[in-house]
Amino acid sequence: MQGLKASWGLTAYFWLIVIYMIFPVLIVIPVSFGNSEFLRFPPESFGLRWYRAYVSDPVWVAATVTSFRVAVLSTVIATTAGTLAGLAISRSPRRAQGPLTYAATVPIVIPHIFIALGVFILALRLKLTDNEVALAFAHAAVAMPFVVLITSAAIRQIDPTIERAARVLGAGPVRAFRVATLPPLIPAVVAAAIFAFFVSFDELIIAQFLMKGSETLPMRIWADLRLDISPVVAAVSGLLIVVTTIAMACAETLRRRALRTLAP
Amino acid sequence: MNYTRFVLHAAIAASLAGPAAAEDKVLTIAGSGGVVKEITEKVFIPAFEEDTGWTTKFIAAESNIMLEVRTMLASGNMLYDAMEVSASNYPIGVQEGLLAPIDYALLDPDNQLPDKAKKEFGVVAAAYSTVLVQRLDKTPEGKKMQSWADFWDVETFPGPRSLNRQPQYTMEFALLADGVAKEDLYDVLGTDEGLDRAFAKLDEIKPYIPVWWTSGAQSVQLLSDGEVFYSSTYNGRVTKLQESGIPAEIVWNGGALHTSYVGIPKNAPNYKEAHDWIRVRTMRPDLEIQYVRQLPYPNFAPGLFDEMSEEVARNMPTYPANAEVQFVAYDEFWAANIDRIRERFDEWLLE
Amino acid sequence: MKLRPILWLLLPAAVLLAGFILAPSLDLFRASLFDPDFTMQHFQRLVDRGVYLDVMWRTIRVSLIVAVLCTVIGYPVAFFINLQPSRRQTLLLFLILIPMWMSILIRTYAWIVVLGRDGLVNQALAALGLAQEPVQMLFTSGAVLAAMVQILLPIQILTCYAAMTEIDFDLIRAARVLGARPRQAIARVFVPLSLDGTLTGLVIVFMLSMGFFITPALLGGRQDTMIANLIEFQVQRLNWSFAAALGVVLLVLTVAMIVLLRGAGRLLARRVLKGGL
Repeated sequence: MQGLKASWGLTAYFWLIVIYMIFPVLIVIPVSFGNSEFLRFPPESFGLRWYRAYVSDPVWVAATVTSFRVAVLSTVIATTAGTLAGLAISRSPRRAQGPLTYAATVPIVIPHIFIALGVFILALRLKLTDNEVALAFAHAAVAMPFVVLITSAAIRQIDPTIERAARVLGAGPVRAFRVATLPPLIPAVVAAAIFAFFVSFDELIIAQFLMKGSETLPMRIWADLRLDISPVVAAVSGLLIVVTTIAMACAETLRRRALRTLAP
Repeated sequence: MNYTRFVLHAAIAASLAGPAAAEDKVLTIAGSGGVVKEITEKVFIPAFEEDTGWTTKFIAAESNIMLEVRTMLASGNMLYDAMEVSASNYPIGVQEGLLAPIDYALLDPDNQLPDKAKKEFGVVAAAYSTVLVQRLDKTPEGKKMQSWADFWDVETFPGPRSLNRQPQYTMEFALLADGVAKEDLYDVLGTDEGLDRAFAKLDEIKPYIPVWWTSGAQSVQLLSDGEVFYSSTYNGRVTKLQESGIPAEIVWNGGALHTSYVGIPKNAPNYKEAHDWIRVRTMRPDLEIQYVRQLPYPNFAPGLFDEMSEEVARNMPTYPANAEVQFVAYDEFWAANIDRIRERFDEWLLE
Repeated sequence: MKLRPILWLLLPAAVLLAGFILAPSLDLFRASLFDPDFTMQHFQRLVDRGVYLDVMWRTIRVSLIVAVLCTVIGYPVAFFINLQPSRRQTLLLFLILIPMWMSILIRTYAWIVVLGRDGLVNQALAALGLAQEPVQMLFTSGAVLAAMVQILLPIQILTCYAAMTEIDFDLIRAARVLGARPRQAIARVFVPLSLDGTLTGLVIVFMLSMGFFITPALLGGRQDTMIANLIEFQVQRLNWSFAAALGVVLLVLTVAMIVLLRGAGRLLARRVLKGGL
């Protein structure tokens, strides 16, 4: 939004909220470098004990990788199906929009345990237990309503006359959509995809039922909970933050470099 | 289940492919995750595989294990051969008919296991206690809690406390604090007056309990952080708490002694071999000693205490001096009464 | 658009929902009413014992407060991000999303470090001589709210942001040209246009809150019980039918709340459009 500037007060407010949201990072990172058997802040002595425990334990690493795989697959499924549905809902007769949105929304409140059991029965019947694909689909089903909500809210804001204009100018329906409607829709789709990713990445109950033999990261984290909260959990969190920050920085640098080479 | 019918159409496709080729000689065992899983895989599983030539698949199944088993049983596709059965799940498993009886002639032909290790549907795999733990650096100079009555004594022992956010054993602790003898606990608790008496006693301590814990990890963390000075907790992690520099001490007096089991779910595909697993898991003192060094949750493997030093033995819930002052948690009582008492307990907490 | 392509677009979503959500939900309804013959006993028990409806009401109240707080706090944040040049927008969004990589367990623990007896706030209070005794901040409803809002805020910001990016800012400029003051232009043009997305975020946060139980259990006091705790217990007890009855009531109440929320949102939108804020 060019031409409008954030006031000084709004800027200060923004950074205040950012601090509120990310202060756990400032606590988790030191805790993860502690040497104590328990989560302790501030740590009495520092060391890489819990990072070593994480990296040297193939079970933890495998769990992280599994979680990533499931989350990515489920994000693709949920975002595709959800965006298409969001599109359909926003283009359907006005009278049908409300009921369709409700039909897509209501599932969010069904406690996961019921979904877990239902999918578990299905998996047992099909002998699909310990199947990451089944889990990814189940997670996608849970995440998809959010995708529908986010994208259909965004589509309603987009002016359909532009797409119609493109059609009039001779573009086919797909091309008209791609040129006129898709670009402004992308932020919403990305937001929905991020959302879907974390729904799967954090989900525990359905995973517990479906995964027999291999573990996801939340399963691994919660397995210990009856006995103790292992500081490995802090190390994993710290590592994930560092890795994504580096990945983000790399992507940004690459993008800038690409821009510079493109420039005349 | 109706859902089953809905799924049937999809299932036909799968069944056309024929029954999944039975993987030979793999025993599937379900149990707790985390540390328990690690030690089991390090100690018992290699021994079992060496003894029998079978391989194993160990599945970390957590709180919903009974629901899983019931669902598998209903769908005719039992995935587990043997499973850990927690103290509170045992009576549920028996009531719901989810467990197969143990064949003791097959398991223990020489009758080596003591009677207290043998139940109809499970063999004791671990004994543990819910005990009072105090932080000695927070107790008044020269004083130490000795009993639940001391836990209730907020004059002598000021400071925040915590108890489990469920009525099991918490009610017993209240009655002990009120002077009920441990032999009479369940007789008293079984009557309406006894229940009222326990709640009346809990009323006294309610204002001094800022937090009611919901997992063992939470109670230990609360003690570690100094959020509470005294709490009920499982005996397992107290040694680690001490090693990390927290002067925590167990009060064995008035503790609740529990036993968890290893059992066989009904329709387990490898009933006979499951017994071989149970034998390795419960009757081998040479293996069990390695387990209890990590987790002080011993079973009744014959001759286990002969393998331990006095110092290690004293930390065990089944060490005679410790066992003597505790009461045995009566999980059948709780299985029969939990719904009623839990509702009242939840209401009481909200008041 | 014609009807047939619309149906095709809906197909993947419908299949996913039917297989993984609708079927288990129908089973849920069935289980709550048949045990094995038709019975109302589970709903009867739910009504007779006050504790269930009480906890349900508390859950709704907490969820509503969290949703409103997230909206009020998150809206200006999303607005601020939208004012930035587009490259910086990505960066700021990334900043907002960082906490999502942390296990909820750890995020909750961070609050113990801050609010605990020996926590940072209490240390500061003691150092400033403002408190003799440690102030009990942990294990209160306030601690639960602070943590839940923190955990769910990124979701509301993201949803609001996505909705705001669609708004044509020429409209605001036009309003300015026509003589509206900045605040007026925002209130009369921008807010109504972003309301739909904001409301969506509010509903999402509300629904997610309804399922919370770890954070309230770790940071709350004895009265901060959530309905999910009670359902989980009934499931472990294998009281499946009763758990299902609780699930059904939860479902019905939540849908009713969403209808109410959306209705209230529309009403608000109309008021805003007519008279400004």
